[in-house]
Amino acid sequence: MYRYDDIDATLVAERVSQFRDQTQRFLSGVLSEDEFRPLRLRNGLYIQLHAPMLRVAIPYGLLSTRQLRMLAHLARKYDRGYGHITTRQNIQYNWPKLEDVPDMLADLASVEMHAIQTSGNCIRNTTADHFAGIAPDEIEDPRAYCEIIRQWSTLHPEFTYLPRKFKIAVTGSPADRAASEVHDIGLHMKHDAAGNVGFEVLVGGGLGRTPILGKVIREFLPREHLLSYLEAILRIYNQEGRRDNIYKARIKILVKSRGIDEFRKAVEAEWEQIRDTSLKLEPAEIARVSAFFQPPPYEQLPNVDVTAGQSPGFLAWYRYNTRPHKVPGYRAVVVSLKAPDMPPGDITADQMDALADLADRVSSGEVRATHDQNLVLGEVRQIDLIETWNALKALNLATPNVGTLTDMICCPGLDFCSLANASSISIAKQINDRFSDFDFLYDLGHIEIKMSGCMNACGHHHVGHIGILGVDKHGVEWYQITIGGSASGVSSLGKVIGPSVGKEAVAETIARLLDVYREQREEGEEFLQTVRRIGVEPFSDRVYGTTH
Amino acid sequence: MGQLIKDRQTAANEWAVAGSESAATATRLILPLTDYLQAGATSQDQAVLLKPEDQDLGPLLPHLAELPLIAIDFGSSGEGRGYTQARLLRERHGYRGELRAIGKVRADQMYFLARCGFDAFELADGEDPAIAIAQLDRFSVAYQSGPDGLTHPRRRYGA
Repeated sequence: MYRYDDIDATLVAERVSQFRDQTQRFLSGVLSEDEFRPLRLRNGLYIQLHAPMLRVAIPYGLLSTRQLRMLAHLARKYDRGYGHITTRQNIQYNWPKLEDVPDMLADLASVEMHAIQTSGNCIRNTTADHFAGIAPDEIEDPRAYCEIIRQWSTLHPEFTYLPRKFKIAVTGSPADRAASEVHDIGLHMKHDAAGNVGFEVLVGGGLGRTPILGKVIREFLPREHLLSYLEAILRIYNQEGRRDNIYKARIKILVKSRGIDEFRKAVEAEWEQIRDTSLKLEPAEIARVSAFFQPPPYEQLPNVDVTAGQSPGFLAWYRYNTRPHKVPGYRAVVVSLKAPDMPPGDITADQMDALADLADRVSSGEVRATHDQNLVLGEVRQIDLIETWNALKALNLATPNVGTLTDMICCPGLDFCSLANASSISIAKQINDRFSDFDFLYDLGHIEIKMSGCMNACGHHHVGHIGILGVDKHGVEWYQITIGGSASGVSSLGKVIGPSVGKEAVAETIARLLDVYREQREEGEEFLQTVRRIGVEPFSDRVYGTTH
Repeated sequence: MGQLIKDRQTAANEWAVAGSESAATATRLILPLTDYLQAGATSQDQAVLLKPEDQDLGPLLPHLAELPLIAIDFGSSGEGRGYTQARLLRERHGYRGELRAIGKVRADQMYFLARCGFDAFELADGEDPAIAIAQLDRFSVAYQSGPDGLTHPRRRYGA
């Protein structure tokens, strides 16, 4: 993975000292709360219901075990012994003290980490496919380009006061595992006819109040022009994005109101002016950064059938929680952070430490965070899978439910977040309690529930096969249910099935949706495909009765 | 009106924005873009004010060589269009005169403003000039290009 040189290390250290100074000025009354807010947000620090919340960047989801141990240390020393993996591959701490945050940032800097631009109206952490570099279906490894984008976007002087936040996702595989179509910019690595490496560029995707899928602004952008093209898009957005209304300030609204063709014209005209400046990436620089993402020295191993004669528990875990690897003899392991007794995406300090030890022993000393709030051990020898399973099981990290109904995406909701309208974690528990039978879950097959406690959509509910949105009606929590959303492959936004349901009725509503699917599905058809084939109505009829 | 900072130190303000309280007694005036263009001004005592919505710099370009000062207004907190205006004036159009940030300019914006080409800063009321000046040296390295004269010895992208 990428290692800091002295420029990177100096910059992060100076950022820590800047934030220490800013915090000091706030605590001593020199800075008002209003003045401090945009400064702390640019360091990932929110003031939440109970305490500040610190969001730490995990660039494109990649962590060394050394870094993971530091995250455990932070959880133990400054928080209540756990952290929460987010839908943008970051980690959040819900209980730090404001005056401790500069020390937390200094601890992070010691392992080449930071919280720069994890919030605020600026360019956020760049996210990527969590199977980057190991997926058999990958065209190119996107991580070097993610790192280049990370550096270019860090403290970018022109784009630190954007109209609104700005998120970039990069994927190197046609199976979009980075939800790139619901990002402000989505980059799809591809080859042109001559075999040159570049990107398909999408712009204007996003969730929130106005969910929109990104539109193609450029079919093929040669890789050397990556930064100049991003800079051109950001510049047009900075100039023309709306600043009068926070709900209309994302780039998706600008693209929608100008139309993609007009917007493209403006971007391309700007790009012409800057494409051959020093923003152009030299082959040597691409090679320098790419060298950090070379594959580990793989052993020459045959593919082996490790399932023969194994217990049903192992077979289920193997089937649901492991994925193919491009190198024979290896497999990727998804570490489920969706145990029924834990809030989705939470991981304790002890689990982090033990997982770091395990990753050093059976994988490459790296761990990846996924946008659906799990972790991945990317380089496990097939012959080590049984040992890995046993170790994960002992840590409560082997719930064999990845890709199933209980592998839910879930925001912190009303339990922690000051923006939320309704609880998410209690609904996740309700769903876990109701659907605890694994045979039932396995019969349902691949199905994604995504849940947000408010329309800011941190839980990506619009693109859940089943989406759950918490709404507040006169102080009472209600839940709007959508079906048919997806953010991978052929993306789509879910459709509302009908009026919101009460808090106690969420699991029952889902049960009825699942009944319709089980009755109507054709051979081999997943829930999403059935919804796409038969439409929303049969599902609405079952939930509300035909006379609704 | 807050303190003016120029060349990394506090400075007396000779300029006033037309229509402001201090304009009555000032000898050098900063005019709104349309007024400046209408006046066809070539006096060294007239400068131009760019509002955030003045993104079309075309009409101003013929005047850049003689303009002694361009003021860019950061009216409300969070306003960011001025950063783009500044970079375009400096990097694309070769403007060499004084580039002054006015409006609600806070100490912690100074670093970013300077890296976009501003060399004068009219601080918001109550901002401590010493703290503001100190922010100019917050970082010794950067990943992006900046104007000449700043102390960023090594840059990686867009040098």
